[in-house]
Amino acid sequence: MLPLCFLTVALLGGLRVSADNHAFIFIAPPLITLVLAVLLMVLFVRGHLIEFPRWLTNTNPPLTNVSHVWMLLTLFFASAQAFNSVLPERGLLHWLFSVFFLWTLWNNQFSSFDARRLLRSLVVLFGTAFILKHLLLASLYRPEGGWLKRVAGALLQGVSLGTLDTPTFAPATGYISFFTLTLYVTGLILLIFAPENETREKSHPLVQRYLELSPADRLTVRETILADQPESDRLEGSNLY
Amino acid sequence: MQQKFLQCTGLALTVIYGAFIVWVYATEPRTFKEVATSAEVAAGTYQIDQERFNNALALFRREQFRAARDEWQRADPAQGDARTQFYIAYSFYREGWGRVFYNQDLFKQGLESINRALTLVSNGQLSVDDPNLQMHSAAELKTELEQGTERNWGDINPLKVLRTRK
Repeated sequence: MLPLCFLTVALLGGLRVSADNHAFIFIAPPLITLVLAVLLMVLFVRGHLIEFPRWLTNTNPPLTNVSHVWMLLTLFFASAQAFNSVLPERGLLHWLFSVFFLWTLWNNQFSSFDARRLLRSLVVLFGTAFILKHLLLASLYRPEGGWLKRVAGALLQGVSLGTLDTPTFAPATGYISFFTLTLYVTGLILLIFAPENETREKSHPLVQRYLELSPADRLTVRETILADQPESDRLEGSNLY
Repeated sequence: MQQKFLQCTGLALTVIYGAFIVWVYATEPRTFKEVATSAEVAAGTYQIDQERFNNALALFRREQFRAARDEWQRADPAQGDARTQFYIAYSFYREGWGRVFYNQDLFKQGLESINRALTLVSNGQLSVDDPNLQMHSAAELKTELEQGTERNWGDINPLKVLRTRK
Protein backbone atom coordinates (compact mmCIF):
# COMPACT_ATOMS: atom_id res chain seq x y z
CA MET A 1 0.00 0.00 0.00
CA LEU A 2 2.66 2.54 1.04
CA PRO A 3 5.08 1.87 -1.86
CA LEU A 4 2.12 2.24 -4.24
CA CYS A 5 1.27 5.60 -2.68
CA PHE A 6 4.89 6.81 -2.81
CA LEU A 7 5.34 5.59 -6.40
CA THR A 8 2.27 7.56 -7.46
CA VAL A 9 3.87 10.63 -5.89
CA ALA A 10 7.05 9.83 -7.86
CA LEU A 11 4.99 9.64 -11.06
CA LEU A 12 2.99 12.83 -10.58
CA GLY A 13 5.68 14.97 -8.93
CA GLY A 14 7.38 15.74 -12.24
CA LEU A 15 4.22 16.05 -14.32
CA ARG A 16 3.27 19.44 -15.77
CA VAL A 17 0.56 20.30 -18.29
CA SER A 18 1.50 22.65 -21.11
CA ALA A 19 -0.48 25.90 -21.25
CA ASP A 20 -0.40 25.95 -25.07
CA ASN A 21 -1.67 22.55 -26.14
CA HIS A 22 -2.40 20.83 -22.80
CA ALA A 23 0.27 18.21 -23.55
CA PHE A 24 2.03 16.35 -20.73
CA ILE A 25 5.52 17.48 -19.82
CA PHE A 26 7.53 15.09 -17.63
CA ILE A 27 10.34 16.80 -15.74
CA ALA A 28 12.88 14.38 -14.28
CA PRO A 29 14.00 15.29 -10.74
CA PRO A 30 16.88 17.79 -10.84
CA LEU A 31 20.04 16.92 -8.91
CA ILE A 32 19.22 19.37 -6.12
CA THR A 33 15.97 17.51 -5.33
CA LEU A 34 17.96 14.32 -4.80
CA VAL A 35 20.22 16.16 -2.33
CA LEU A 36 17.13 17.54 -0.56
CA ALA A 37 15.61 14.05 -0.46
CA VAL A 38 18.77 12.68 1.17
CA LEU A 39 18.58 15.39 3.86
CA LEU A 40 14.90 14.60 4.39
CA MET A 41 15.63 10.88 4.73
CA VAL A 42 18.20 11.69 7.43
CA LEU A 43 15.50 13.74 9.18
CA PHE A 44 13.10 10.80 8.94
CA VAL A 45 15.69 8.62 10.66
CA ARG A 46 16.30 11.24 13.36
CA GLY A 47 12.55 11.69 13.86
CA HIS A 48 12.11 7.89 14.23
CA LEU A 49 9.81 7.76 11.21
CA ILE A 50 12.28 5.30 9.73
CA GLU A 51 13.94 2.89 12.12
CA PHE A 52 16.81 1.15 10.39
CA PRO A 53 17.68 -1.18 13.29
CA ARG A 54 14.18 -2.63 13.25
CA TRP A 55 13.45 -2.37 9.51
CA LEU A 56 16.64 -3.99 8.33
CA THR A 57 17.83 -6.66 10.69
CA ASN A 58 18.92 -10.27 10.41
CA THR A 59 16.05 -11.28 12.71
CA ASN A 60 13.52 -10.28 10.00
CA PRO A 61 12.73 -12.75 7.21
CA PRO A 62 14.58 -11.87 3.95
CA LEU A 63 11.35 -10.95 2.18
CA THR A 64 10.47 -8.46 4.90
CA ASN A 65 13.90 -6.87 4.60
CA VAL A 66 13.51 -6.63 0.81
CA SER A 67 10.06 -5.03 1.27
CA HIS A 68 11.51 -2.50 3.69
CA VAL A 69 14.38 -1.64 1.34
CA TRP A 70 11.88 -1.21 -1.50
CA MET A 71 9.74 1.07 0.66
CA LEU A 72 12.79 3.17 1.58
CA LEU A 73 13.61 3.52 -2.12
CA THR A 74 10.09 4.57 -3.02
CA LEU A 75 10.02 7.01 -0.09
CA PHE A 76 13.30 8.53 -1.30
CA PHE A 77 12.07 9.06 -4.86
CA ALA A 78 8.68 10.29 -3.64
CA SER A 79 10.49 12.87 -1.48
CA ALA A 80 12.62 13.97 -4.44
CA GLN A 81 9.54 14.31 -6.64
CA ALA A 82 7.58 16.15 -3.94
CA PHE A 83 10.35 18.77 -3.97
CA ASN A 84 10.35 18.71 -7.78
CA SER A 85 6.62 19.44 -7.72
CA VAL A 86 6.98 22.68 -5.76
CA LEU A 87 10.31 23.91 -7.20
CA PRO A 88 10.16 26.45 -10.04
CA GLU A 89 11.58 24.80 -13.17
CA ARG A 90 14.37 27.26 -13.98
CA GLY A 91 15.83 30.69 -13.36
CA LEU A 92 16.73 32.51 -10.19
CA LEU A 93 13.53 31.39 -8.44
CA HIS A 94 14.57 27.75 -8.84
CA TRP A 95 17.76 28.46 -6.92
CA LEU A 96 16.04 30.69 -4.36
CA PHE A 97 13.55 27.95 -3.54
CA SER A 98 16.34 25.35 -3.47
CA VAL A 99 18.37 27.41 -1.00
CA PHE A 100 15.23 27.95 1.11
CA PHE A 101 14.64 24.19 1.29
CA LEU A 102 18.31 23.42 1.84
CA TRP A 103 18.58 25.93 4.67
CA THR A 104 15.42 24.70 6.39
CA LEU A 105 16.37 21.04 6.17
CA TRP A 106 19.94 21.72 7.26
CA ASN A 107 18.73 23.66 10.33
CA ASN A 108 16.30 20.87 11.16
CA GLN A 109 19.18 18.40 11.30
CA PHE A 110 20.22 20.03 14.58
CA SER A 111 16.76 20.25 16.17
CA SER A 112 15.15 17.59 18.31
CA PHE A 113 12.29 15.92 16.47
CA ASP A 114 9.73 13.25 16.93
CA ALA A 115 7.75 11.82 14.03
CA ARG A 116 4.64 13.97 14.55
CA ARG A 117 6.53 17.25 14.94
CA LEU A 118 8.54 16.41 11.85
CA LEU A 119 5.37 15.77 9.88
CA ARG A 120 3.84 19.09 10.99
CA SER A 121 7.04 20.87 9.99
CA LEU A 122 6.99 19.19 6.55
CA VAL A 123 3.36 20.10 5.94
CA VAL A 124 4.21 23.76 6.62
CA LEU A 125 7.33 23.57 4.42
CA PHE A 126 5.62 22.03 1.40
CA GLY A 127 2.47 24.09 1.93
CA THR A 128 4.43 27.36 1.85
CA ALA A 129 6.32 26.35 -1.27
CA PHE A 130 3.09 25.23 -2.96
CA ILE A 131 1.35 28.53 -2.23
CA LEU A 132 4.36 30.51 -3.46
CA LYS A 133 4.79 28.56 -6.68
CA HIS A 134 1.31 27.50 -7.75
CA LEU A 135 -0.73 30.40 -6.43
CA LEU A 136 1.46 33.49 -6.20
CA LEU A 137 3.97 33.03 -9.04
CA ALA A 138 1.53 31.25 -11.37
CA SER A 139 -0.92 34.11 -10.95
CA LEU A 140 1.79 36.73 -11.65
CA TYR A 141 3.01 35.05 -14.83
CA ARG A 142 -0.40 33.97 -16.16
CA PRO A 143 -0.83 35.53 -19.65
CA GLU A 144 -4.61 35.95 -19.35
CA GLY A 145 -4.35 37.77 -16.00
CA GLY A 146 -5.58 41.34 -15.46
CA TRP A 147 -3.47 44.38 -16.34
CA LEU A 148 -2.39 44.88 -12.72
CA LYS A 149 -1.02 41.34 -12.57
CA ARG A 150 0.73 41.75 -15.90
CA VAL A 151 2.30 45.03 -14.80
CA ALA A 152 3.48 43.43 -11.53
CA GLY A 153 4.90 40.48 -13.48
CA ALA A 154 6.66 42.77 -15.95
CA LEU A 155 8.07 44.90 -13.11
CA LEU A 156 9.34 41.81 -11.32
CA GLN A 157 10.98 40.65 -14.55
CA GLY A 158 12.52 44.08 -15.14
CA VAL A 159 13.88 44.47 -11.61
CA SER A 160 15.44 41.01 -11.73
CA LEU A 161 16.87 41.59 -15.26
CA GLY A 162 14.91 38.61 -16.59
CA THR A 163 16.42 36.10 -14.17
CA LEU A 164 13.00 35.38 -12.64
CA ASP A 165 11.77 33.99 -15.93
CA THR A 166 9.71 30.90 -15.25
CA PRO A 167 7.63 28.77 -17.64
CA THR A 168 3.85 29.03 -17.43
CA PHE A 169 1.76 25.88 -17.25
CA ALA A 170 -1.94 25.09 -17.47
CA PRO A 171 -3.92 25.43 -14.20
CA ALA A 172 -4.20 21.63 -14.12
CA THR A 173 -0.53 21.56 -13.04
CA GLY A 174 -1.45 23.19 -9.73
CA TYR A 175 -4.19 20.64 -9.10
CA ILE A 176 -1.82 17.76 -9.90
CA SER A 177 0.78 19.21 -7.53
CA PHE A 178 -1.81 19.62 -4.76
CA PHE A 179 -2.93 16.02 -5.18
CA THR A 180 0.70 14.83 -5.22
CA LEU A 181 1.59 16.65 -2.01
CA THR A 182 -1.60 15.47 -0.29
CA LEU A 183 -0.78 11.90 -1.28
CA TYR A 184 2.79 12.29 -0.04
CA VAL A 185 1.69 13.64 3.35
CA THR A 186 -0.96 10.91 3.59
CA GLY A 187 1.76 8.34 2.94
CA LEU A 188 3.88 9.81 5.73
CA ILE A 189 0.89 9.82 8.11
CA LEU A 190 0.24 6.17 7.28
CA LEU A 191 3.92 5.49 7.96
CA ILE A 192 3.65 7.07 11.42
CA PHE A 193 0.48 5.21 12.31
CA ALA A 194 1.65 1.89 10.91
CA PRO A 195 0.93 -0.88 13.46
CA GLU A 196 4.65 -1.49 14.05
CA ASN A 197 5.32 2.17 14.86
CA GLU A 198 2.21 2.44 17.03
CA THR A 199 3.28 -0.33 19.41
CA ARG A 200 6.74 1.13 19.33
CA GLU A 201 5.55 4.56 20.43
CA LYS A 202 3.42 3.25 23.26
CA SER A 203 6.09 0.99 24.74
CA HIS A 204 8.49 2.07 27.46
CA PRO A 205 11.89 3.42 26.27
CA LEU A 206 13.61 0.59 28.11
CA VAL A 207 11.49 -1.96 26.23
CA GLN A 208 12.25 -0.15 23.00
CA ARG A 209 15.99 -0.53 23.62
CA TYR A 210 15.46 -4.17 24.49
CA LEU A 211 13.58 -4.79 21.22
CA GLU A 212 16.47 -3.34 19.24
CA LEU A 213 18.82 -6.07 20.55
CA SER A 214 19.66 -9.26 18.72
CA PRO A 215 18.07 -12.53 20.02
CA ALA A 216 21.37 -13.57 21.67
CA ASP A 217 21.67 -10.23 23.48
CA ARG A 218 18.02 -10.42 24.55
CA LEU A 219 18.70 -13.83 26.10
CA THR A 220 21.71 -12.45 27.98
CA VAL A 221 19.61 -9.55 29.30
CA ARG A 222 16.87 -11.92 30.45
CA GLU A 223 19.37 -14.19 32.18
CA THR A 224 21.05 -11.23 33.92
CA ILE A 225 17.70 -9.90 35.16
CA LEU A 226 16.73 -13.34 36.46
CA ALA A 227 20.09 -13.79 38.12
CA ASP A 228 19.57 -10.49 40.02
CA GLN A 229 16.16 -11.54 41.34
CA PRO A 230 15.42 -13.61 44.49
CA GLU A 231 14.57 -17.31 43.95
CA SER A 232 10.78 -16.87 44.46
CA ASP A 233 10.56 -13.97 41.93
CA ARG A 234 12.71 -15.89 39.47
CA LEU A 235 10.28 -18.81 39.45
CA GLU A 236 7.35 -16.46 38.80
CA GLY A 237 9.32 -14.52 36.16
CA SER A 238 10.32 -17.65 34.27
CA ASN A 239 6.63 -18.35 33.63
CA LEU A 240 6.49 -15.12 31.63
CA TYR A 241 8.89 -16.46 29.04
CA MET B 1 1.97 -18.84 3.77
CA GLN B 2 -0.87 -16.66 2.50
CA GLN B 3 0.78 -13.58 4.01
CA LYS B 4 4.02 -14.45 2.23
CA PHE B 5 2.16 -14.83 -1.06
CA LEU B 6 0.46 -11.47 -0.57
CA GLN B 7 3.79 -9.85 0.29
CA CYS B 8 5.43 -11.30 -2.85
CA THR B 9 2.53 -10.24 -5.08
CA GLY B 10 2.49 -6.72 -3.65
CA LEU B 11 6.23 -6.39 -4.10
CA ALA B 12 6.09 -7.64 -7.70
CA LEU B 13 3.21 -5.33 -8.59
CA THR B 14 4.90 -2.25 -7.15
CA VAL B 15 8.17 -3.14 -8.91
CA ILE B 16 6.25 -3.31 -12.22
CA TYR B 17 4.60 0.01 -11.40
CA GLY B 18 8.04 1.49 -10.65
CA ALA B 19 9.37 0.23 -13.99
CA PHE B 20 6.36 1.82 -15.71
CA ILE B 21 7.18 5.18 -14.09
CA VAL B 22 10.82 4.96 -15.24
CA TRP B 23 9.59 4.10 -18.75
CA VAL B 24 7.16 7.07 -18.75
CA TYR B 25 9.95 9.49 -17.79
CA ALA B 26 12.29 7.95 -20.39
CA THR B 27 9.81 8.15 -23.28
CA GLU B 28 8.08 11.39 -22.20
CA PRO B 29 4.70 10.84 -23.88
CA ARG B 30 2.75 14.06 -24.44
CA THR B 31 -0.79 12.67 -24.47
CA PHE B 32 -2.64 9.57 -23.29
CA LYS B 33 -2.72 8.47 -26.94
CA GLU B 34 1.05 8.65 -27.08
CA VAL B 35 1.23 6.60 -23.89
CA ALA B 36 -0.81 3.90 -25.64
CA THR B 37 1.30 4.12 -28.82
CA SER B 38 4.57 3.91 -26.87
CA ALA B 39 3.20 0.91 -24.98
CA GLU B 40 2.40 -0.77 -28.32
CA VAL B 41 5.96 -0.08 -29.52
CA ALA B 42 7.38 -1.51 -26.30
CA ALA B 43 5.16 -4.58 -26.58
CA GLY B 44 6.09 -5.07 -30.26
CA THR B 45 2.49 -4.80 -31.47
CA TYR B 46 2.83 -1.35 -33.05
CA GLN B 47 1.61 -0.96 -36.64
CA ILE B 48 1.43 2.12 -38.83
CA ASP B 49 -1.81 3.39 -40.35
CA GLN B 50 -1.50 1.81 -43.82
CA GLU B 51 -4.25 3.92 -45.37
CA ARG B 52 -2.56 7.15 -44.37
CA PHE B 53 0.76 5.76 -45.57
CA ASN B 54 -0.69 5.08 -49.04
CA ASN B 55 -2.26 8.55 -49.16
CA ALA B 56 1.12 10.05 -48.30
CA LEU B 57 2.81 8.00 -51.02
CA ALA B 58 0.34 9.30 -53.59
CA LEU B 59 1.04 12.88 -52.45
CA PHE B 60 4.79 12.22 -52.60
CA ARG B 61 4.50 11.00 -56.20
CA ARG B 62 2.61 14.19 -57.07
CA GLU B 63 5.56 16.12 -55.54
CA GLN B 64 3.47 17.50 -52.68
CA PHE B 65 6.22 16.79 -50.21
CA ARG B 66 5.05 18.76 -47.19
CA ALA B 67 1.56 17.26 -47.32
CA ALA B 68 3.10 13.81 -47.78
CA ARG B 69 5.35 14.27 -44.75
CA ASP B 70 2.43 15.44 -42.66
CA GLU B 71 0.44 12.37 -43.63
CA TRP B 72 3.38 10.02 -42.97
CA GLN B 73 3.88 11.56 -39.55
CA ARG B 74 0.23 10.84 -38.77
CA ALA B 75 0.61 7.31 -40.11
CA ASP B 76 3.63 6.69 -37.88
CA PRO B 77 3.11 8.85 -34.74
CA ALA B 78 5.64 6.87 -32.69
CA GLN B 79 8.31 7.24 -35.41
CA GLY B 80 8.83 3.53 -35.06
CA ASP B 81 8.57 2.32 -38.66
CA ALA B 82 11.83 2.35 -40.61
CA ARG B 83 10.17 2.36 -44.07
CA THR B 84 8.03 5.41 -43.24
CA GLN B 85 11.02 7.26 -41.82
CA PHE B 86 12.94 6.44 -45.03
CA TYR B 87 10.19 8.01 -47.13
CA ILE B 88 10.06 11.07 -44.88
CA ALA B 89 13.82 11.49 -45.34
CA TYR B 90 13.40 11.06 -49.08
CA SER B 91 10.73 13.76 -49.19
CA PHE B 92 13.10 16.12 -47.35
CA TYR B 93 15.76 15.31 -49.93
CA ARG B 94 13.51 15.91 -52.93
CA GLU B 95 12.07 19.13 -51.54
CA GLY B 96 15.47 20.45 -50.45
CA TRP B 97 17.24 19.58 -53.68
CA GLY B 98 18.01 22.52 -55.97
CA ARG B 99 19.96 22.84 -59.19
CA VAL B 100 22.03 25.72 -57.82
CA PHE B 101 21.98 25.04 -54.05
CA TYR B 102 20.47 22.69 -51.50
CA ASN B 103 18.16 23.78 -48.70
CA GLN B 104 20.34 23.06 -45.67
CA ASP B 105 17.49 23.00 -43.14
CA LEU B 106 15.52 20.41 -45.09
CA PHE B 107 18.60 18.30 -45.70
CA LYS B 108 19.43 18.33 -41.99
CA GLN B 109 15.90 17.23 -41.12
CA GLY B 110 16.20 14.52 -43.77
CA LEU B 111 19.42 13.35 -42.17
CA GLU B 112 17.70 13.11 -38.80
CA SER B 113 14.92 11.01 -40.32
CA ILE B 114 17.24 8.64 -42.14
CA ASN B 115 19.36 8.20 -39.01
CA ARG B 116 16.16 7.38 -37.11
CA ALA B 117 15.23 4.85 -39.81
CA LEU B 118 18.64 3.21 -39.55
CA THR B 119 18.38 2.86 -35.78
CA LEU B 120 15.04 1.08 -36.21
CA VAL B 121 16.49 -1.76 -38.31
CA SER B 122 18.39 -4.42 -36.43
CA ASN B 123 21.23 -5.00 -38.93
CA GLY B 124 21.69 -1.32 -39.87
CA GLN B 125 20.69 -1.98 -43.49
CA LEU B 126 17.45 -0.78 -45.00
CA SER B 127 16.32 -1.23 -48.57
CA VAL B 128 13.02 -0.07 -50.10
CA ASP B 129 11.83 -1.62 -53.35
CA ASP B 130 10.04 1.24 -55.03
CA PRO B 131 10.54 1.66 -58.80
CA ASN B 132 9.69 5.36 -58.53
CA LEU B 133 12.76 6.03 -56.41
CA GLN B 134 16.29 6.23 -57.72
CA MET B 135 17.90 5.53 -54.36
CA HIS B 136 16.68 2.33 -52.74
CA SER B 137 19.00 1.91 -49.78
CA ALA B 138 19.10 4.05 -46.66
CA ALA B 139 22.90 4.22 -46.83
CA GLU B 140 22.71 5.75 -50.32
CA LEU B 141 20.17 8.35 -49.25
CA LYS B 142 22.14 9.16 -46.13
CA THR B 143 25.32 9.74 -48.17
CA GLU B 144 23.43 12.03 -50.54
CA LEU B 145 21.98 14.04 -47.66
CA GLU B 146 25.37 14.27 -45.91
CA GLN B 147 27.06 15.48 -49.08
CA GLY B 148 24.34 18.09 -49.44
CA THR B 149 25.04 19.52 -46.00
CA GLU B 150 28.82 19.71 -46.51
CA ARG B 151 30.52 22.79 -47.92
CA ASN B 152 33.48 22.44 -50.30
CA TRP B 153 35.12 24.03 -53.34
CA GLY B 154 33.06 21.80 -55.63
CA ASP B 155 30.02 23.89 -54.73
CA ILE B 156 31.22 26.72 -57.01
CA ASN B 157 31.67 24.43 -60.00
CA PRO B 158 29.30 25.82 -62.71
CA LEU B 159 28.82 22.33 -64.15
CA LYS B 160 26.84 21.46 -61.02
CA VAL B 161 23.74 22.92 -62.63
CA LEU B 162 23.73 19.90 -64.94
CA ARG B 163 23.26 17.42 -62.09
CA THR B 164 19.95 15.61 -61.72
CA ARG B 165 17.74 14.90 -58.76
CA LYS B 166 17.53 11.28 -57.72
